[in-house]
Amino acid sequence: MNFRNQLFFLFSLFVTCSVTGQEIMKKKRDFVLISKGTHFVAGSTITLEFKGNSAISCEMYCANSYGSTLVKPQLQGARIFFKIPAYLSTKTGVLNWRIVGLKQPLFGSFKIVPKESPSALETYVGPPSIEAGGSDYSMLVVIPTDNLDNPLRQDTPVSIQQQFLASEKNKLIFTKNLIAFKHIFSPLKTGRMLLSSEVLGLNSKEYDINVMPAIATNFNIYSNRNHTYADGNQITTFTTSIIKDKNNNTISDGNFVYFFITNKIGDLLKTSGTTIAGVATAKIIHPDYEENWNIKAYILGMAESNTLKIKYKKVIANFEVAFIKNNRKVTVGPIKSFMGQLIPDGIQVKISIYKDKKILNEIIKSSREGFVSFNLNQSIYKNGEYDFKISTAKVHKTFQSITLW
Amino acid sequence: MVTLNKIIFKSILLLSYLLIIAVVLFLISSLYGYLNTGADRSKILHTKIKKIDQYLPKVTWLEDGNLGRKMNAQTLSEIESNYLDAWFVKNSAFQTNSKIGIDAYYTESARKNIFNIIGANKKLKITIERTTLSHNPDIFLFSEDGQLVVLEDKNVVEYKRVFKDNKFILEITEIANYKVILLLEDGFWRIRHLVKESVSDFDKKTNVALPISTSIKGINYYPQATPWNMFGSEFDINIIREDFNLIKNTNLNTIRIFIPYQDFGRAKVKESKLHKLRQVLDAAEKNDLKVIVTLFDFYGNYAVIDWTLNRRHAETIVSAFKNHNALLAWDVKNEPNLDFDSRGKMDVISWLEQIIVLIKSIDKNHAVTIGWSNISSASILKDQLDFVSFHYYEDKDIFEERYIALKKIVKDKPLVLGEFGVTSYRGFWKPFGSSEEKQAMYYKEMQAVFAKNKIPFLSWTLYDFDKIPKEVVGELPWRRNAQEHYGFINKNGEKKKSFEYIFKN
Repeated sequence: MNFRNQLFFLFSLFVTCSVTGQEIMKKKRDFVLISKGTHFVAGSTITLEFKGNSAISCEMYCANSYGSTLVKPQLQGARIFFKIPAYLSTKTGVLNWRIVGLKQPLFGSFKIVPKESPSALETYVGPPSIEAGGSDYSMLVVIPTDNLDNPLRQDTPVSIQQQFLASEKNKLIFTKNLIAFKHIFSPLKTGRMLLSSEVLGLNSKEYDINVMPAIATNFNIYSNRNHTYADGNQITTFTTSIIKDKNNNTISDGNFVYFFITNKIGDLLKTSGTTIAGVATAKIIHPDYEENWNIKAYILGMAESNTLKIKYKKVIANFEVAFIKNNRKVTVGPIKSFMGQLIPDGIQVKISIYKDKKILNEIIKSSREGFVSFNLNQSIYKNGEYDFKISTAKVHKTFQSITLW
Repeated sequence: MVTLNKIIFKSILLLSYLLIIAVVLFLISSLYGYLNTGADRSKILHTKIKKIDQYLPKVTWLEDGNLGRKMNAQTLSEIESNYLDAWFVKNSAFQTNSKIGIDAYYTESARKNIFNIIGANKKLKITIERTTLSHNPDIFLFSEDGQLVVLEDKNVVEYKRVFKDNKFILEITEIANYKVILLLEDGFWRIRHLVKESVSDFDKKTNVALPISTSIKGINYYPQATPWNMFGSEFDINIIREDFNLIKNTNLNTIRIFIPYQDFGRAKVKESKLHKLRQVLDAAEKNDLKVIVTLFDFYGNYAVIDWTLNRRHAETIVSAFKNHNALLAWDVKNEPNLDFDSRGKMDVISWLEQIIVLIKSIDKNHAVTIGWSNISSASILKDQLDFVSFHYYEDKDIFEERYIALKKIVKDKPLVLGEFGVTSYRGFWKPFGSSEEKQAMYYKEMQAVFAKNKIPFLSWTLYDFDKIPKEVVGELPWRRNAQEHYGFINKNGEKKKSFEYIFKN
């Protein structure tokens, strides 16, 4: 804390020094500064003139914003000149000097100010895309510089032009701390915003900001299917309504929409799709048995849909089973669909084999051309009595005390 | 004969084949090795840059005026690191007039400004050793896209030493305010604009001198087993406590101890070492002993580029113990005048001066001194110090006279004899050397002078030592042996005759 106080003291000390501009002690001294002026324009020839004993060998230390050097004097009788080299005098900021070689310290400083007219506008705009709705913003930073690459003086007016859809705006800001900057808040609509800046007649190039839609709001879902039968073959398509953000802008393409399906017994099925022009589409194959589905879609963390209920009708009411070849070949079928046609290939048939009420094995096979057959190998299933349970599409049939031989 | 020749010829041929193959293999492997060096993918991300402490000025961030994006700690530390590196490479560039490193920390338009100046300086044979001691950056704006930051660096304390044709021209310490624009380019925060807003001379004057007790009766202390390595792995606080108790019982009231710079961790002082030092100070307090803590032992660089590291070291230790009751004074460095020849008198004195200013800015309640090795150096920097301390190993008979002469030069500042003593060694290397009787006589006479002139003193030292590191007295056995026998207590723990005169009321 004490250290801080000391620094503060020093700070206030140099503030007073810099206000006076040139520090010269009034005592009799070797040199006396004749040059006046506390401000010079960057790039101008700056020569400090002193009166005094030119026999004294001396040099001038001078330091600008970027570095320091030594300058040799030029003598003209009793007048001593120090010309500030161009590599120092072209940069703005305080230039402090000190004559080395004198008995009493002689030092001072002056300010190099930028030229009035700008020659370049360094403009930075970012982030390049923002969310519509007025809360997100981008920022435009302008560093107007003169032709010696010095930032222009404080309070240089910078005019910011802004075009979006039908509106064109113009705002005047002022440089402070080397730069001028403006927050660019997003409009309610999506689109491309164009920006440019102008300083004292010098115009920047064109900059743009993409105004992107905000996050999705809740939406509706719909289903579309060829028929309502649970044939395990057709495909049901889910679509969303055109998903919008809170300002009625269609959300960006590529939003991921999850469709969660809850079936009769509470199991969850999931399908998903991404939005294109605000609509996401997802597909799922029909169940192969009677079902009631509740479907709800989510854009995770952002929005959700209504709940959609759809029913699938049973297509398989019954099927035939034949035991042949010493009862060792079990043929299931023909399995028929809703119009009596053979069920499309791929429906699952399960046979459970019991011996003395204990389950021995379960075999699952897919149907082919309406039929499924199971071969019961003699080396696995020894001769004797077995019970069988055959199920497909949630239809079960049991056969008891079938003798294999 | 012919067969023998044949065999010799064959074997030479064979050996030369082997040699050629070995050389060729070596060349191919070197080439292969060379081709396998180079761009490492991980380097693209600058993740593997190993940072060594080379430049650590004091940085205090202010961030109350940021009108842009909220700054996070990670980005701030990256900005700080790059910004300080920018100063570091600039300092190096001005010292060597080379452009190395400037590219990395200044944008293309900004680096020209530095190149122009160092180009001219190179032509004029001007070199500038420089460093900055403190920065207080205050963020004005962190742009929303995180690519630009505008800040004001307030009260930058810049030290410069200007040479022309390798001849010293000027030394200056300035305090300046800068406005800075940094841009994030290729993963580096680079300076785009730098504008010095104001500058003035840094006031090196220290505060009003602190009074120091003139009743210092003390001894320089190292444990017998670990001289010059008091805080090493063999540190044993119990031995130190016993020694302090012994010192207290001789009616001495002060000890002087030494903090080895490297052993304590240089810029990043190790917590374990601070803990040991705290134990020592606590033990001293318990035995009513006051402690003069001598910093920067075994340090001898003084280079301007090293200053920021030295300052972190001093800052850590001084801040940690400035409120300790046992602390009497800070001794900036032991016998720095011995480095005048090898390091340059001005380098050493400027270094001492800035450390004094630093210590006094942190600790306003304890006196600061320098342990000059002889009377003729004792008046250097006397105005910056609270008391002048010097060491005396010369002829005891002219001590009083020289002391009085010094007193006249130093005038208002108290004088403390920080080290004095004589060896009792007589042996193979010095057959006609000293003896315990002579040592005792020396102390007796010196104590008489002290009593007469009220001279505060600290004798060298409590114990005779077994091992003396070669950094202390070198390899020469007659010097080493003499140094081993400066104690009041011999290697067997028995009090020597001089012990009687360790202090005389």
